[in-house]
Amino acid sequence: MDFFVQLFTNPVGFYNQHELLIAQIGINSILAIAIFVTFYSGQLTLANAGFMAIGAYTTVIMTLYLPTPLPVNMLAGAVLAGLVSVVVGLPVLRLRGVFLAIATIGFVEALRLGVILNVPITGEGQGLKNPTADPLGGIVPILISLPILAYLVWRLTRSRLGQAWSAIREDELAASSNGINVPLYKMIAFIISAVLAGYAGALETHINFFVDPTEYGITRTIQILTFAVVGGTTNVFGPIVGAVFLTALPEIVRQFMAYRDVVNGIILILVIIFRPQGIVGRGGLAIIRPRWWTRWRARERTAAAH
Amino acid sequence: MSALLQLTDVRRHFGGVHAVDGVSLEIEEGTIFGLIGPNGAGKTTLVNVVTGYMRSQTGSIRLTSPGGTAELARRPPHAIAGLGIARTFQTLRLYRNLTAIENVLIGMHTRRRDDTLQQLLPLRPLMRLDDRRLEEARKLLQTVGLDPDQHGDRRASTLSYGDQRRLEVARALALKPKLLILDEPAAGMNPAEKDRVRELIQQLNADGLTVLLIDHDMRLVMGVCQRIVVLNFGRKIADGPPATVSNDPAVVTAYLGSHAPESASHVPGSEEMDIAATAKPAASAEPASPLLEVRDLEVAYGAIKAVRGVSFGVGKGEIVALIGANGAGKSTILNTLSGVLRPHAGIARFGDLDLTTAAPDKIVRAGLAQIPEGREILARLTVRENMELGAWARRDRGAAHREIDELMKQFPILGQRQNLPAGQLSGGEQQILAIARGLLAHPSLLLLDEPSLGLAPQMVDTVFEVIQRIHTEGVTILLVEQNALRALEIADRAYVVETGRILLSGTGTALRRNPEVQKAYLGG
Amino acid sequence: MTQQVLNAIFIGSIYALFAVGYTLVFGVLDVLNLAHSAVFMLGAVITYSLVALHGMPFLPAAVIAVLVCGVLGLLIEFVALRPLRRRNAPPISALISTIGLALIFVAIVEQATPGTLFGWLWQDGANSVRFPAGTVPNPTYHVGGLTIEGTKLGILFTSVVLMLVLGYVIRYTQIGRALRAVAENRRAATLLGINVDRIFASTLFISSALGGLAGLLFGLAISDIGPYIGRDQVELKGLAVIVLGGMGSIPGAVLGGYLLGLIEVLAFVRFGSNVEAGVAFAALFLVLVLRPQGLFGARLRERL
Repeated sequence: MDFFVQLFTNPVGFYNQHELLIAQIGINSILAIAIFVTFYSGQLTLANAGFMAIGAYTTVIMTLYLPTPLPVNMLAGAVLAGLVSVVVGLPVLRLRGVFLAIATIGFVEALRLGVILNVPITGEGQGLKNPTADPLGGIVPILISLPILAYLVWRLTRSRLGQAWSAIREDELAASSNGINVPLYKMIAFIISAVLAGYAGALETHINFFVDPTEYGITRTIQILTFAVVGGTTNVFGPIVGAVFLTALPEIVRQFMAYRDVVNGIILILVIIFRPQGIVGRGGLAIIRPRWWTRWRARERTAAAH
Repeated sequence: MSALLQLTDVRRHFGGVHAVDGVSLEIEEGTIFGLIGPNGAGKTTLVNVVTGYMRSQTGSIRLTSPGGTAELARRPPHAIAGLGIARTFQTLRLYRNLTAIENVLIGMHTRRRDDTLQQLLPLRPLMRLDDRRLEEARKLLQTVGLDPDQHGDRRASTLSYGDQRRLEVARALALKPKLLILDEPAAGMNPAEKDRVRELIQQLNADGLTVLLIDHDMRLVMGVCQRIVVLNFGRKIADGPPATVSNDPAVVTAYLGSHAPESASHVPGSEEMDIAATAKPAASAEPASPLLEVRDLEVAYGAIKAVRGVSFGVGKGEIVALIGANGAGKSTILNTLSGVLRPHAGIARFGDLDLTTAAPDKIVRAGLAQIPEGREILARLTVRENMELGAWARRDRGAAHREIDELMKQFPILGQRQNLPAGQLSGGEQQILAIARGLLAHPSLLLLDEPSLGLAPQMVDTVFEVIQRIHTEGVTILLVEQNALRALEIADRAYVVETGRILLSGTGTALRRNPEVQKAYLGG
Repeated sequence: MTQQVLNAIFIGSIYALFAVGYTLVFGVLDVLNLAHSAVFMLGAVITYSLVALHGMPFLPAAVIAVLVCGVLGLLIEFVALRPLRRRNAPPISALISTIGLALIFVAIVEQATPGTLFGWLWQDGANSVRFPAGTVPNPTYHVGGLTIEGTKLGILFTSVVLMLVLGYVIRYTQIGRALRAVAENRRAATLLGINVDRIFASTLFISSALGGLAGLLFGLAISDIGPYIGRDQVELKGLAVIVLGGMGSIPGAVLGGYLLGLIEVLAFVRFGSNVEAGVAFAALFLVLVLRPQGLFGARLRERL
């Protein structure tokens, strides 16, 4: 409980002491936004860990071998992830439901086992050492980009594109009959999601001294999925809330740290059965919602209809 | 008037089945065009081909507009929508979790300028465009008869069935289409609602919209279309104004089979029918000690009250019919009796058994079996295996096997096909299989849900013969039918169900003569 | 080369046994049970525990382990699946709740060391172990230049027999027909008087028992028992197999299992061990893209 006490009484001290945790929360939040984008368009894609890996490795390899500045390297990582997503998405996105999930899992594992572990430049099984990592400074880009990205994605859901995504999520065939180019819009969601995941991967390497290939497998993707499920996927803040809650949880409940996965598993099951809309889903947070929030939401709802 | 849509030799087959077998037609601009045909004739397949959901294997589909002529044949659905063809779906495809207004706004997608990038920065000028779109959406809701204030912000899934159908039309209209295709827009509606649909179509057409209407309801189609094409087995068998088509002998045969009653020289429903009353001994109003007793039954799907206080009884040895339009609640009643649905009020007793709480398998073992709507045959199992499962609830395997052989002799079609997958049987044959299978459970009460649905008229004759046969062998029957004429012909007593309530009850004969019933359900 | 083919047949049997359980649940319940690989792992762990920590001979230990895994299947049904069905949850929810159970199962073993809560079950934490020498007699036969281990032969024999038995039950018995009926059309099955819930529970029991069996056979043959063998060795390969064979098809799962074994071995011979691991996923990908229904699956078509 002293965790919370410090949070409220000594925020600066809290920040200094828990910088790495906050950085990790930030990165997980960006990953949560990435999976939100595909969920919002009705696609269960589990490929984010793979795109993270692309972003991470590209950044570090460029840092090690090219004189380009770090921001360029990170951008290159995100962009490359986006390009790969096009190649992967073209054959895969016309699959639905479970089949799409399996295909994307297949991609991630093929990437990890087939490419990362076999291509010398990635350091294969040993991973890569990142000498320019800056754990303390690295938190700054995270804290700056997170709110910007959240805002942009939120506005996106209100645009014509976002509306089309909603339609696709609800009923693909009907969406076609309304003139929505379903394959194109799904691909766009997939690309955006990949770019965000790649960016998060690049950010993560900036605070770690080491790029570890085992980080980017199925377990990571499932972890990201958990953020979305627990937080709720009706709007972009749900997965962020999920990320914050689940990343911080082991810190708060230190004595259970060993059994973190057990707790995660139990939370996952309980949420999906008893509160499938997540923390932030419809009716969520009703208990602590202040009045100004309700009024603002009502105004937003009429505006959201555009 | 010029041709808006021109189909030339369109073909679409699935394996050996020629769903659409060389159809050519022309829809003139500004007309209401009807497409009809018996079940399985290929109407919806044709629509799917025109709207791009299926590819035509040959032929061309040309859309003519002021800007020129476009070939639709190999374009994806969204491109065809973009060219100005809007449609509704036979199975009703709304965005269920979005509000009514949101549904309509999405319909405007092709006309909304892509403001995605601008939306990323909150710009005031965008708000005015948004308001204009909202206003238009509200007007569209009003056009179809929905109140934007009352219904606009409700989730589509919470609207009543009739309102949902209307909403789908509003969403299609939001496209500002050149051609509006309505696929069974009045399915499941009672006569009053169908009239409103008719009025809507006429009003839209008066405003200049070309409409292609597909429906089973003859009165609706004949009453509102200026030109009709009839399909059968994927081919066009008639093409012309309603009066010509309804008298065309080929069309009459297609619908009624070769044993059409002498009085019907027209397609039933196209005009008033003269019902000859066959004398039948009058049955008493309600059975003294009923085998099945239902009182004040209320069943709801979420917010939708499907059954609102229904009471009736079935006595041993009777055939009782429940008639009424689609969506009236008849199937819901049967499913509640079988234990698949649970009521939130009311009583349903089968002998000693409380049907409202008993498990479905227990109900079957107690002797109440249902032959569901659409037959629900296990398509990938063989005919024989289907029948063997019919005896699942019984313990006497030996006797069951003998009965299966007996039934195979009684219904030779089953014997001949016993090792074929049941899915390969025709609709009528499947219905016979379903009935035989149902009999193997030794039911004392058999529930039949729409046995004639989707069957060619000759098969309907056969099926009803079978029903009467098993009745004489002592099975009590509760029959649900949209085909009121047939049902009332064989029923001892019947109830008319409308929007979840029982409207009328009486003997089969009496109801057949009742003018209200005649008007509403017999097309008279 | 023939030696390699023999290996392929043998490992293929294990894949097939595992995949059959997977595909059975998918066919009957329409659910991808992602806890299946965790049960696979527990089959091995429980058998090891009984043999190495509690001194039981192999055969009774194996039987008990298989039964316990069957019961775990019931746990999966009652905890992760039935509550969702009662609430009409969308299919993805079942996927997620089985993931949750898998997390729990793996974590329990991963954290189990002497003195902890589950120390009676497992004491090696995240490490891998092997069955103590002499657990099972393992004579080696030399036939025509090939080396055949007795254990592997026994495993092959067991797998084949079980698959034949299962095949017979499904095809020719009333309960098999009921299973197929439920898989085909739940509503029709209910109206025939089949208790669908009970069928689901039975399916999960059988499937998990088979999965546990596959796990302990794997542990025996490959000498690898640890918390991650499910996830690393078969979880994704199992997916590849059932996609290859057609989801919901048992003959497909069997054929797919052997096919994958063959492809893996051939890739190993040709390209070396590094590529072998990725082969399964390449195959998975190709199948999903070119022929999503696999070898025997039904074509998925949506009614308009």
